[in-house]
Amino acid sequence: MISFILMVNKQGQTRCSKYYQWLPMEERVALESEIIRKCLSRSELQCSFLEYRGYKTIYRRYASLFFIIGTKPDIDAAQVGGENKENELGLLEFIHNLVETMDKWAGSICELDIMYQLEEVHFILDEMVMNGYIVETCKGATLKAIDLLERESRKGEAMFK
Amino acid sequence: MSGMHLSKEFFELLKAIGESKSKQEEDRIIQREIATLKKKMDGSSSKGGLGGKLPTIGHGGGGGGGGSGSHNALNQNRKKAKEFLVRLLYVEMLGHDGSFGYIKAVELAASSSIIHKRTGYLLCSCCLAPEHEFRFMLVNQMQRDLASSSILEICSSLIAVTNLITSDMVPAMASHVEKLMNHGSEIVRKKAVIAYHRMYQLDEHTVDRKDLIDVLRKVLCDRDPSVMGSSLNVIESLATVDPAPFKDLVASLISILKQVIEHRLPSDFEYHRVPAPWIQMKIVRILAVVGKNDANASNGMYEILGECMRKADVGINAGYAVIYECVRTITSIYPNPTLLDAAADAISRFITSQSQNLKYFGVTGLAAIVESHPQYATAHQMSVIECLEDRDETLQRRTLDLLYKMTNPVNVQFITEKLLGFLRNTTDEFLKEDLTNKVCTLAERYAPNNLWYVETITDLFEMSGDFVQQEVAQNLMTLIAEGSGDDEEDENGEE
Repeated sequence: MISFILMVNKQGQTRCSKYYQWLPMEERVALESEIIRKCLSRSELQCSFLEYRGYKTIYRRYASLFFIIGTKPDIDAAQVGGENKENELGLLEFIHNLVETMDKWAGSICELDIMYQLEEVHFILDEMVMNGYIVETCKGATLKAIDLLERESRKGEAMFK
Repeated sequence: MSGMHLSKEFFELLKAIGESKSKQEEDRIIQREIATLKKKMDGSSSKGGLGGKLPTIGHGGGGGGGGSGSHNALNQNRKKAKEFLVRLLYVEMLGHDGSFGYIKAVELAASSSIIHKRTGYLLCSCCLAPEHEFRFMLVNQMQRDLASSSILEICSSLIAVTNLITSDMVPAMASHVEKLMNHGSEIVRKKAVIAYHRMYQLDEHTVDRKDLIDVLRKVLCDRDPSVMGSSLNVIESLATVDPAPFKDLVASLISILKQVIEHRLPSDFEYHRVPAPWIQMKIVRILAVVGKNDANASNGMYEILGECMRKADVGINAGYAVIYECVRTITSIYPNPTLLDAAADAISRFITSQSQNLKYFGVTGLAAIVESHPQYATAHQMSVIECLEDRDETLQRRTLDLLYKMTNPVNVQFITEKLLGFLRNTTDEFLKEDLTNKVCTLAERYAPNNLWYVETITDLFEMSGDFVQQEVAQNLMTLIAEGSGDDEEDENGEE
């Protein structure tokens, strides 16, 4: 399962963080700063995967921003000693799919967009991943749901004009 | 996209965060922000504040605290309330405590404006610890939203339920979620499946495993492929624990996979010419679990796996990911020589590839095949050694895994030496523990003689004594006490 999804820039500043397994704040802060350091210490010629404290981690860099997905064995499977069966390359491409989706939504996504519309980025993620599972990968379906949300909210404001 | 929709204050905050040059500077900025936000909360009955509980549409005008009765002021208040929460989210995201504002999130979740409701739920999901009492306060609201006539409200609640429920909340919510799996909208059904599974994970008594499986069988045949795709996650999860109830679904799964790889899904499912790669991967993984040790079940899968592998070979990562999944499955299910050869071929291509990511898959693929079919390992000995000496730490670790799985009485000494070498040089606790366990297992299984065993375990104690299991220590003691008669053993100095 996906345990967390992070968007961290190369200065180590977290731009978006989503956890599917609860971690107390001090642990999150430590995890985020250590993991970005590990990603930064790797060269472009090395593979996009690393292991960090039991998390099988996949990362991908877009300009100054790192997208990082940390995975652990599925909760149900872990109870019977199951291993982490996540497909690293599949998740690498899922990151790309996510970026393409956000790109379509923002008309060319950049770090600033994520900062200015943080809650919307979360809403997009909520359409695609639930309980650490990938539930939607079609850009059209994801953006349709977001569009519905945005239209409904504009309607709400118009009522008060 | 500019930040024009943000208040000047918020815009300045983001600008400051973006331009900050150090963690300390960022901390100072956030401390100031916390002070500002706290003041806003205290000034709730003044015009500049957030207003008290937010009035809802349909309750006539005004009402509630804050602002005048005019609609514009109400709108302003709600905008401010939402912005307050997003700023609070920033505070917490950057590592500071924002608990003073949580109550506002709970209040906003009760809003009739969907975007405010969603924002309220979002903040609760991100910030409320499992033991936090506010989670319980949201039960009624989530129930109301699940029963709403608005799809958006239902979806907000389903997402919130999945993030926020705890085991004692399941009985109150289970039937609401179960009903939604027959909802007319696919956006709802897709989420309801996951929410229902979440409840099962927390409370197996209220959400019965058998009921869940019955539901899954229906959802697998849902007319919307995304809903079907969503259910695959849950099926994989349950089948990993016990594949028996899913054996009769193999035919359906194969039929779905066939449709997918023949491009019969809507075009939106195509990802760079590969049709629904993540759905393909999930189905192939489920087949692995259901076909393991089952010749009958495996038999039905051979054809589709071969076809799937062939069709996925389009030269891009998404395709390779599917191929790799097929390789893994082929090595887990009841063996088929043709497929095994095809899998070995794919592994060869991966391990000799220029791409580090594919090399990684080559190594992990080889580890999968070598356990049950060791003959495939010999062709790649050189590549394996190269990977072991690669400067890429991730690749090295995967290769250690592979070596471990390749061990036999002939190469045990060589491989153990390699593992000990890495153990000696690492500071990573997880890797230490893993390697320690591996060396112990190999030493027990394949030790050529007692002397070697004693020396190896002694080395192990020196390097990572904390991680060595009790029985190993005891075995060693026994061995030394019995004495081999060849040499004087030094007493190992461990506690």
